[in-house]
Amino acid sequence: MTSLVTADGLTRVFDDRVAVRDVSLTVNAGEIVCLLGPNGAGKTTTMRMLAGLILPTSGRISINQIEVTEVTAGRARSSVGLLTEAPGLWERLSVRNNLLTYARLHGVADADRSVDQALRHVDLLDRAGDVAGKLSKGLKQRTALARALLHQPPVLLLDEPTSGLDPASARHVRDLIVDLRSEGRAILVSTHNLGEAQQLADRIGVLKTQLLAFDTPRALRQARAGARVVIDLEGSNIPIEKPIDSLSDIPGIVAAIVGDGKRIVRVTPTERSLEDVYLDLVGDER
Amino acid sequence: MTFAWHRVIALARKDALELIRNPGAIFPAVMMVFGALFPAFLVIVVVPRMVGKTFEESGEFADEAARAADLIPELAGLAGNALVQTFIFHQFAVLLMLVPIVAAMALATHAVIGEKQARALEPLLATPISTVELLAAKTLTPFLFALALTWGVVMLYLAGAAVFGEPGVWRAVAGMRLFLMFGLLAPLVELASLQVSVIVSSRSNDPRSAQQITGLLILPLTAVFVAQLMGLLVIGPSALILTSLAFVLVNGILLWVGVQVFQRESILTRWTR
Repeated sequence: MTSLVTADGLTRVFDDRVAVRDVSLTVNAGEIVCLLGPNGAGKTTTMRMLAGLILPTSGRISINQIEVTEVTAGRARSSVGLLTEAPGLWERLSVRNNLLTYARLHGVADADRSVDQALRHVDLLDRAGDVAGKLSKGLKQRTALARALLHQPPVLLLDEPTSGLDPASARHVRDLIVDLRSEGRAILVSTHNLGEAQQLADRIGVLKTQLLAFDTPRALRQARAGARVVIDLEGSNIPIEKPIDSLSDIPGIVAAIVGDGKRIVRVTPTERSLEDVYLDLVGDER
Repeated sequence: MTFAWHRVIALARKDALELIRNPGAIFPAVMMVFGALFPAFLVIVVVPRMVGKTFEESGEFADEAARAADLIPELAGLAGNALVQTFIFHQFAVLLMLVPIVAAMALATHAVIGEKQARALEPLLATPISTVELLAAKTLTPFLFALALTWGVVMLYLAGAAVFGEPGVWRAVAGMRLFLMFGLLAPLVELASLQVSVIVSSRSNDPRSAQQITGLLILPLTAVFVAQLMGLLVIGPSALILTSLAFVLVNGILLWVGVQVFQRESILTRWTR
C-alpha cells in the first residue's frame, strides 16, 4: 500500500510549551485515519504540520513523496486539501467566487470547470450563486470541503469536519468522506466524536501531546482494554465476567465453571467500547 | 518558491470583489473626498461673496501670493485675482493628500482584519501562496483603489478650478507642482500609509481601532497645511522631490518591518486566535 502521509518523530515546541511530541504515523492511499484526542492535545498542530503550514521543531514529514521542508512546503501544500475547523469562507462573495479564488491560487488550469466538479462532488452545484454568508453551517462546511477538493489533492486533512453540524448534515459530510476514500485518497480526520471515528476510520490514532495508540479500531479495543466474556448462570442474577486474550480462551473458562457443577445459561464474549479504550488512554478528566 | 503574480492577482481580485460589496469599508475614503475638496472652494467661492469683495480688492492673501511666486513657478506671470486664486488652490491642494492616506488606511485595515474576522487566513495559507505574495496581494487592491480615487479627486479639483476660478487659473494649478504632488509623492505617501495599516492590522482585531492608530498619520500633513496657511511654509518643487525621496526610504523600512510581521507561523498561531 502506498503511504501518502508519513510523519516520523514529529515534535513541535511553541516558546517553551511542547504542543506535540515524537508523533509518528502514516496514512495510506484509500485509507481514513482518525486522530482522536482531548482539547489541546495537539491535533490541530499536527494537522498544520502535515499541511505544510508550520514546520516541526524536529522530525520528518513526507506528503505524497515530497519531503516537507521550508523550501518544499509550498509544493507539498499543492498535494493537500485542508478542511479547517471553521469554514473560513468570504461571506460577502458567492460560493462560486469563493471557490474560483482558491482554484486560481492553486493554479488550476480550468478554474471554472474544477469549481463545477468540486461543487458537484459535494452536491452544491445548484447553490453556486448563493452568497456564502447566507448558507447554513452544514452547507458552509460542504463548501469548505469542495474548496479542499478543487485541486484534486491526493491527501485530505479534515479538522473536525462535522463539528457543530446537525445529524443530517454530519451524516452527509461523513458519506462524502467515505466516497473520497473510495477514490484512493489518503484522509486524516481529526475529531472528538468517537462514534464518527469508529464509523469512518480504518485506523485510529489517540493523541495527547504524544501518540498514545495507533491501530485499527478493533485492535485498539482488543489490545488496549482487553476483551471479556460474560457468563450467565442458572439461578443467579449476577453474571461472571472474565478477561480474555482471545476467543480461544473461552472453552477453558466454560469447562472450569461446568466442572464446579454450575449450569451455564449464556456465554457472551464482549469487547470494550472505543470510549472505554479512549478514556483509559487519555484519562478521564472530569 | 518563486513569486507568482497569478496568485497575487487572484487574491487582489477577490479583495476588489469584497470591497465592492462592502460600502462600510469605502465610506471613510468617500467622506474624506468631500472633506478634502470642500475647503478650497469655500474660500475661493463663498468668502468673497460673504465680504462682497474679490481677493484683489480686499488684499487678502495678496502679499503671501506675491512672495510665493518665487517658490511656485506656476504663479509666475499671474496677477490680481487670478494670482491669489491660483495661490489658494495650490495651498489647499495639500489637503487632497489626505485622500490617499485615509483611503489606503481604511481599505488596508479591512483587507487584513477582514480575513482575520472571517477566519479565512488558515485555508488561505494552506494554498501554495507565499507570505510575500499574500502581503503584496493585501496591498495591491487598496493601493490601486486609493490611487484611482486620489487622481479622480485631483481631476475634480481641477474641474472645480476651471468652473469657479478666473479664466486660466486651472491651467496654472495643473502644473509641475501638482504633478509632483500627486504623480510622485501621493503614491509614495499612500504606500507608506498602506504598509503602516497592514502592520497595525496584524496586531488588531477591529478595523476601527486599527484606523484610529494609523489615523495619526494625518497629523504631520495637517501640520504642514496649517504652517502653509500661517505663511510659515511654501512647498515648492524641490521640497516635493526631497520629501518623495524621504518617503522612498520610509517605504523601504516599512517593507522590511511588514515582511517581519507577515510570518506564516505568526499569522497562524497569533493572528487566528
